[in-house]
Amino acid sequence: MMHSSELLKGTLQTILLKVLKDNGRMYGYELTQRVKDLSDARILLTEGALYPTLHKLEAEGMLKTEVVTIGKRVRKYYSLTAEGKSLVKERVAEFIEFINTMGNVLQIPQPAISGTPFPGEKKG
Amino acid sequence: MSMKLLTSEHIDYIIKDLNYRGIFAETIQDELIDHICSSVENEMTHGKKFIDAYHGVLKSFGHTGGLRETQKKVIQSENAKSRNMLKNYFTIALRNLRKHSFYTFINVAGLSVGLAICFIIILFVINEISYDKHFENADRIYRTKSEIKFGGNHYNMLYAPPILASTLATEFPEVEAAIRFRERGSYLVKRNIDNIKEDNVIWTDKDFFKVFSMPVIAGNAETALAEPNTIAISEKIADKYFPNENALGQTLILDNNMNMKITAIYKTLPPNTHFHFDILISLEGLEEAKRPVWYSNNFQTYILLSPGADATRLETKFSELVVTHAMPQLAEVLGGDFTMEKFIAAGNKMEYTLQPLADIHLKSSLQGEFEPGFDIVYIYLFVAVAFFILMIACINFMNLSTARSANRAKEVGIRKVMGSFRSHLMRQFLTESILLTFASIILALGIAYLLLPFFNQLSLRTLSIPFNQPMLYAIITAAALGVGVLAGIYPSFFLSAFKPVNVLKGNVSLGMKSGFIRSALVVFQFTISISLVIGTLAVNRQLNYIQSKKLGFNKDQVIVIEDVYALGTNRIPFKEEIMRSGKMENATMTGFLPVSGTWRNDNPWWVEGRDPAIQENMVSIQNWRIDYDYIKTMGMSIKEGRDFSRDFPSDSSAVIINEAALKSFHFDGEAIGSKIQSFGDGPNGEPDKDHPISLTVVGIAENFHFESLKQNVSPLMMELSKRPEGPISFRFQSQNSKEIIQLIETKWKEMAPGQPFNYYFLDERFGTMYASETRLGKIFGIFSMIAIVIACLGLFALTSFTAEQRMKEIGIRKVLGASISSIVMLLSKELGKLVLIAFVLAVPLAWFGIDWWLKDYTYKTQIGVGLYLIAGAAAFLIAWATMSFQSFKAASNDPVKSLRSE
Repeated sequence: MMHSSELLKGTLQTILLKVLKDNGRMYGYELTQRVKDLSDARILLTEGALYPTLHKLEAEGMLKTEVVTIGKRVRKYYSLTAEGKSLVKERVAEFIEFINTMGNVLQIPQPAISGTPFPGEKKG
Repeated sequence: MSMKLLTSEHIDYIIKDLNYRGIFAETIQDELIDHICSSVENEMTHGKKFIDAYHGVLKSFGHTGGLRETQKKVIQSENAKSRNMLKNYFTIALRNLRKHSFYTFINVAGLSVGLAICFIIILFVINEISYDKHFENADRIYRTKSEIKFGGNHYNMLYAPPILASTLATEFPEVEAAIRFRERGSYLVKRNIDNIKEDNVIWTDKDFFKVFSMPVIAGNAETALAEPNTIAISEKIADKYFPNENALGQTLILDNNMNMKITAIYKTLPPNTHFHFDILISLEGLEEAKRPVWYSNNFQTYILLSPGADATRLETKFSELVVTHAMPQLAEVLGGDFTMEKFIAAGNKMEYTLQPLADIHLKSSLQGEFEPGFDIVYIYLFVAVAFFILMIACINFMNLSTARSANRAKEVGIRKVMGSFRSHLMRQFLTESILLTFASIILALGIAYLLLPFFNQLSLRTLSIPFNQPMLYAIITAAALGVGVLAGIYPSFFLSAFKPVNVLKGNVSLGMKSGFIRSALVVFQFTISISLVIGTLAVNRQLNYIQSKKLGFNKDQVIVIEDVYALGTNRIPFKEEIMRSGKMENATMTGFLPVSGTWRNDNPWWVEGRDPAIQENMVSIQNWRIDYDYIKTMGMSIKEGRDFSRDFPSDSSAVIINEAALKSFHFDGEAIGSKIQSFGDGPNGEPDKDHPISLTVVGIAENFHFESLKQNVSPLMMELSKRPEGPISFRFQSQNSKEIIQLIETKWKEMAPGQPFNYYFLDERFGTMYASETRLGKIFGIFSMIAIVIACLGLFALTSFTAEQRMKEIGIRKVLGASISSIVMLLSKELGKLVLIAFVLAVPLAWFGIDWWLKDYTYKTQIGVGLYLIAGAAAFLIAWATMSFQSFKAASNDPVKSLRSE
């Protein structure tokens, strides 16, 4: 089952930033494939939403790009800037906060996720 | 994922197809291609055929609509941030300027030269309006002007009676201090043995430093000039006569006989002052200054008002002053039945007014100015010309931008389709023009820096670019923005207004066809340039006319030896010794010479037997004291009667008058033999009515010009001097003036050891009478040259643009058999027409200008049709040559090449 795009609307930036954080540099198509894999094909990024968001994040200085020419094709890789990295933490923490709040609002007995902002990561 | 699945052909297909679907934006194009390629490859690994895979991928994008939507969103999301947008404007602007480097060059060259001229003129104007502002109380300093109409004379001058200053200071509480100046020419100055001639010497009152606040380096300013035989000197003089020494308290000897003690040393006056006195002599030591008289006018009078005092109010009290002080004295001197009423009724006048210090440099040219000022009208003219030159350069920019709109229209269309707002485009175009202007300004600074020494030489100023002032950089930035907007606003409106539908369909009127405004601007450029050229030619013609006009005397081959008084009793022997050399034709000793700046003496005279109390009988006339050889030396001619001669002892009371005087006197019978009279001198130098002097007319001299040709020849009389004095003029035969100078100098050194040898040639001095006109002519010549060069730069670019646009047409015409010349004709015709219209407009404009300038001259050259035609032909020729260079290049192109492309 695919998640509705209505639900995904506000989370696109968070998804992109986190995936980039976990995978280093990636290009547009690769990003869509990665998100597809991670979500068991429940989240399919549309190009119409992906590229404007990437360019916007780049314009805001969160992402940096590098261009690699492969034959006739030009591939543009995105990666996080220092600023972008701190934004990821912020966004993910914010999102967990949001889900917990939603859990309370919707009266879901168990919190969906633990309070640790970055599960699986050692806190320094 | 391997990339090998897609062949080069596949990729080309995708690129072309996407292009076809309207994906142009550089920011997204490559990325989308890569994305689609990757997607397609992925599908193909699952066994799909390329074309099916591609269409599948396109479908997931939402086909053409989806693709365009994505592109649009990307552009908009990028544009969201203004800093980024600015960077984008900047990058694209740079790219555009680089891409069209030819047009960029034309624009930058024109703008930077135009701006450099503007820059220099602004510096000049700032300098001119800064005159005298450096004095602390500048706004409270005034000087008196005298208007005196009496006994046939009418004076508008700065000279006032010696008593005026002290009267003002004592009678009016609002006058804080009043001082006088008395000019007595140059002085020979020495410390021990050798004399140096100093020009900037003046006598003045002790309150000088109170009125004109200036830094005094040594000595007490308040008491400096209080004693007779004291002087204050500038730092320049102190360094000159007492290098590395303290000059204060030391003595300088003036004219070999006046021992002057130095009581103060002041900072040398800055160039932007209306006087540059280096030596101030205390008036306490001058008898003439102490005479309490109102009928002699020799002193320039300056006052310092107390704070808050009203100058106009004070001025109204001056007429009362004349009634209570001056009139009783006049009645006493003139005697008889003199009354104020009669004085006024006879059309006489004695009026004093005030002139603020700020008006002196730009708004005053009265008799008695210390230095020539600058006419404010020329300031306006300069500013106008600078503005016009800048306009011409800006118009180049506008015209090239709009002309090239053809090439940029598609860009505009696509940008708009992609979601650019009109404001984005306007900003883009403005960024380009501001960037260009900025580059031009930097270049302009460099050009101005290189040109300034040359301009300084022409304008006799010492201007420099104030690189150390932050104001300069503020102004540069402001100017870059201002001029950038001025030049960019029209193209940005024009270009951004294109409707994408029309542009992309290709049916917007482009290039030369849309050029009504452009044509108007070209006409404007050339109207201004041609007017300037005509004006320059006219000024030069008038100058030539003056220099070559028959003057009534022979200015060539005359050398004048100055400061002859330094010879003492050796004056006559010196003259005779030199005559004995046989190299000289004649010699005369007098200061009254037929060039301005030499001695003058104006008195009322009347024909014997007529009543001097009646105004009409009086003739105001130049009364020159000369010697027997004067007329021969100067090469004047006697029209009637005879020259003075040693054979007639009675010539001591004889007079030679000029034709103008003959006319003014209205002699009853034969002029020769008639007698003319004037007041004698009383014991105190006042005019004595009871003992008139009488002279008999023995000759009438042909009119000769003794002032600038701006003026009519006025009545003049010459009588023999009782005691010849002043410079000695020699008329020489030799063409070798060096030999003559050497001859005289050797004799001088022998007879006047230690005295400076100063001389000038009469024709050179004559030339300096028109120095300001000559300079003006040169400056305008340069301006008009620059204007026309910039205008032609624009024309050059426009022609090359037209040629580019009509490349195919030219190719086809050539294939069909058109000759090169007919194509050149075709290309130049349109712009040539504009130059012709400009000429027609420029003629009346220039005519008014020339008429206005010439109105000051009594003797003016005829500005015939020829001059206008020459100027027009010259402008047309230059414009045509410019155009045909480009059109010839276009016309001689091989049609195969121009037709093959596209």
